[in-house]
Amino acid sequence: MAAQTELSGLQIIEKVYNRPEGDDMQGDLMMTLINSRGNQRIREIKQFIKNFGEMEKKIMFFISPADVRNTSFMNWSYDQAGKDDDQWIYLPALKKVKRISSDSRSDHFMGSDFTYDDLGDRHPSDDNHNLLREETINGEACYVVESIPKDDEYMYSRTITWTIKDKWIGLKKEFYDEDGELLKTLTVKKFSQIKGIWIIMMSEMHNVQKEHTTKMQLSNVILNSGIPANKFTERMMRRGLK
Amino acid sequence: MIKLLTRLMKYPWFILALILVISVLFFSVIKKNSRMETDLDKYMPQQHPAFVFSNQAEEWFQINDGIIIAIENQDGIFNTKTITKLENLTKTLQKMKEFNKDDVTSLYTADNIIGTEEGLDVKPFFKSVPKTEEAMAQLRANVLKNEMIFGRLVSTDEKVTVIVAEIEDDVFSQEFYHQILDIVKEFEGPEKLYVAGRPIVEGTMAYLGPQDMQRMVPIVILVIILVLLLVLRSFKSTFFTLLVVLFSTVWTFGLMAALKIPLYAVSTMIPVMLIAIGVADGVHLYSHLHLFLQEHPDASKKEAVFDMLHGMWKPVVMTSVTTAVGFTSLLTSQVYPIKYFGMFTAFGVMMAMVFSLLLIPAGILVFGLPRWKQKKKMRDENYSRSAGFVAQKLVKYKFITIFSTIIILAISIAGIGKVWINSSFLEKFEKDSDIVLTDKFINQHFGGTSTLNVILAGKENDIFKDPAILTEIDKLQEAVEKLSVVGNSFSLADYLKRMNKVMHADSEKFDRIPESQDLVAQYLLLYEMSGDPDKLWEVVDYYYQKANVTFQLKNDNSKAINSAIAVIEDFDPAFQELGVEVKYAGSGYKSLVFSNLILEGQIYSLLMSLVIVVLLLSLMFKKISVGLIGALPVMITAIISFGIMGLLDIPLSTTTALISSIAIGIGIDYAVHFIERYKIYAAETGSQDMTIRHTMYHSGRAIIFNAIVVIAGFLVLLFSVFPPNRVLGGLVSLNMFTSFLGTVTIMFIILYMTRIYFRSEKLKKKEQENEDQKNNCTYINSCPFHSGNFGSTDRVIRFADH
Repeated sequence: MAAQTELSGLQIIEKVYNRPEGDDMQGDLMMTLINSRGNQRIREIKQFIKNFGEMEKKIMFFISPADVRNTSFMNWSYDQAGKDDDQWIYLPALKKVKRISSDSRSDHFMGSDFTYDDLGDRHPSDDNHNLLREETINGEACYVVESIPKDDEYMYSRTITWTIKDKWIGLKKEFYDEDGELLKTLTVKKFSQIKGIWIIMMSEMHNVQKEHTTKMQLSNVILNSGIPANKFTERMMRRGLK
Repeated sequence: MIKLLTRLMKYPWFILALILVISVLFFSVIKKNSRMETDLDKYMPQQHPAFVFSNQAEEWFQINDGIIIAIENQDGIFNTKTITKLENLTKTLQKMKEFNKDDVTSLYTADNIIGTEEGLDVKPFFKSVPKTEEAMAQLRANVLKNEMIFGRLVSTDEKVTVIVAEIEDDVFSQEFYHQILDIVKEFEGPEKLYVAGRPIVEGTMAYLGPQDMQRMVPIVILVIILVLLLVLRSFKSTFFTLLVVLFSTVWTFGLMAALKIPLYAVSTMIPVMLIAIGVADGVHLYSHLHLFLQEHPDASKKEAVFDMLHGMWKPVVMTSVTTAVGFTSLLTSQVYPIKYFGMFTAFGVMMAMVFSLLLIPAGILVFGLPRWKQKKKMRDENYSRSAGFVAQKLVKYKFITIFSTIIILAISIAGIGKVWINSSFLEKFEKDSDIVLTDKFINQHFGGTSTLNVILAGKENDIFKDPAILTEIDKLQEAVEKLSVVGNSFSLADYLKRMNKVMHADSEKFDRIPESQDLVAQYLLLYEMSGDPDKLWEVVDYYYQKANVTFQLKNDNSKAINSAIAVIEDFDPAFQELGVEVKYAGSGYKSLVFSNLILEGQIYSLLMSLVIVVLLLSLMFKKISVGLIGALPVMITAIISFGIMGLLDIPLSTTTALISSIAIGIGIDYAVHFIERYKIYAAETGSQDMTIRHTMYHSGRAIIFNAIVVIAGFLVLLFSVFPPNRVLGGLVSLNMFTSFLGTVTIMFIILYMTRIYFRSEKLKKKEQENEDQKNNCTYINSCPFHSGNFGSTDRVIRFADH
């Protein structure tokens, strides 16, 4: 312990942000939405993600429920600071691809309790980080880091992340609202190493104020299969799942 | 009974002390335990299916009443200063602990779904207030283009914008209301700000009514004291009569407090009833005492008291028991506050009886006889002469009375047809009060301050993605919105029409329900992805199996709600066919159901108490005919009371419906006292002529005194600042008056005409004998037959000696 150099909060969060994710990834995502009354809705999505260096492209197709099957969604996000994501949606019943321009960072991903930022896209330089303590949860030794946004208009007033040492996976994260009250808790339930890369397989976001929960479960994950660049086009959106 | 009373009267000090001590105990219980129920939901029968459903639906769709704050700028709201004000006020409200942040809606928080050339754009109308003219013009253009916002959050003349802050039922308090008013005041100028909405109206009413009562009641009591002094002409009598009312009220509220039953708005009617009824007992007792002493100026106070008890215990017990039983018929009501009202008023009436029979005699025994002012002898002779005169004239012109009674009753019955139940809270206020004017102002500019929720429920999931059903909802909204009282409406159909239009490059042609279920589903998915899905759950449930259609009404009265419901019911068959059930929810609807329940219950219990009264009176007087005659004043009072309400357009509400209960309390009292006297005099004199004159003098006098006292007291309420209290004062006075008039005129005449108590041969003979003496007997004082009741003095003395 004494020999180990103390890492700063920022360094820890950077390590999480920079954790290798592979060049591309595809998999089936099952999203379970649960409201305060315990009602459940399940959405199944097939997703493809490819890293293009300066930008990341993502395309998703709804498998179920049946009435939205083949509805597809494409997102291009850019590393460049201040540049908004480009987003498209294809509604098969309308047979049209439409752009959705919205303030995407705080938008809810697919109507879930996750915002795009919550999914791990927030740049470490946007916050001031502070290592609070070290703690062991679920048998994993963790760093507990508090992150306070530099922009005080941001949707959260602070977040606290439990990061597993060595694996650099955020095991648990608490989000506090503008009034400083706990808003959401993210818990990672399962993670696996595929081709040497840590992938979060199962996670759960619980909005404690609305008592709404989203469970995300990933399966059939294939990494670095060389998804062609032309997979991420409007034409592919229209084509849908065959 | 009388033996017990006479025995108890040996210890008058002890009785006074005992009653006083128990009263003090009850009073301390009231101090400790009494609490006012302010949550209006607690008034409603929660297990009633309509309430169960409405409460459930309110939870499903987060239906809450909203406080509406309007910002008016005569030069238009689209300028940096006004919009900044809107943003700051919205933020201030969001920070208040009484509001959930998400429940505060304004142009600042609203999502704008707009169509662009390339697609869809869902975002706030502005994040920071537009500083440049172009940016402001853009904001204005965005608002004008969005029919989900324009006309709802911003008035179509662009001069007013509103903030709607929803709160839970039990959050509202008077302090909270003032806090909001204070905040709003800070933002005042040059813009004008208005605060309205059902929570404000309910809250203000819950506060204004009792506050006004607190101010008025002392004056009412003062007037009653003054008039009592005038008619009883004695401080002591007035004092003890008031004690009877006071103690019965204290014991009643004490018992309620001891049983931990909270005070409801209708509980304020209990003292009203007890004043009217308690005063009656006192007046009748003292009146009897007075007459006895007039004839026996040398009688001791003991003799006087025992004669009074002898003569009066029976009618006092009879009137009280019948009245109490009459009130217990309210136990059949489904509404708890009314059940309690009936139960505890009955208790109070019984207590008033006990105190009348204990406190008043004990008071006389301890503090001496009331000292009436002199020169009254002349006056009494006048009374007696005029009573006799009135009685004779009434009999002579009996058909005029009968005829006019029939006409009055006919008019009243016609009036009853016009009686309507009003569950409106707003209409309880002055027409020119701030609260009414603000409401009017907001209704002029926006859809309406009152809401009706129509809850549609299907059996299968996703049924509300079916275009056929959505089209039907759209048609329903269109039809109901045609009513002038309905401002606008809101449902899942509005979202879909908006999305459809936006996804077709803002083309008006597509401002309609999408044609396929898949497209509906995909739009909804799109909305969930880009907007705030929580907003959707206010119009549809998670499984798209239930939907909530909200109608905004410009008036919260029952006529408005009923007219909307009538149109909605036309759509019932169409929805049935589509497998959708139509139900209603929301506070306005609950008030309507509640009022109907009260009315039904009130009419039912009035009828029931009428039957009970007839039965009891028949039993007491051992004649069914007497029972029927005795119920006359009750019927007449109730019919005229409702008739006048219909004719004067006074709607039925919780309190006004209960006022008709006074008919039971007072009508019975008068009838019983009168008939009992009549019976006694009939037996004594055998002469119908003398009987009517003596009865009119003895009972008629007490009845008119009682009526004058209570009427004078309650007329004071006509000067109240709170309209419902004015109505209360007017109606109580009216009921007292008709009870009095009905007893001494029509009931009297019918009693006379049926010749009850004069039918036996023996009486007829006696009557014949008396006819001869008639001329010597014009004045009561010289009348050999006028000696009170069973009334011989030696009998009284026998008791006194005992």
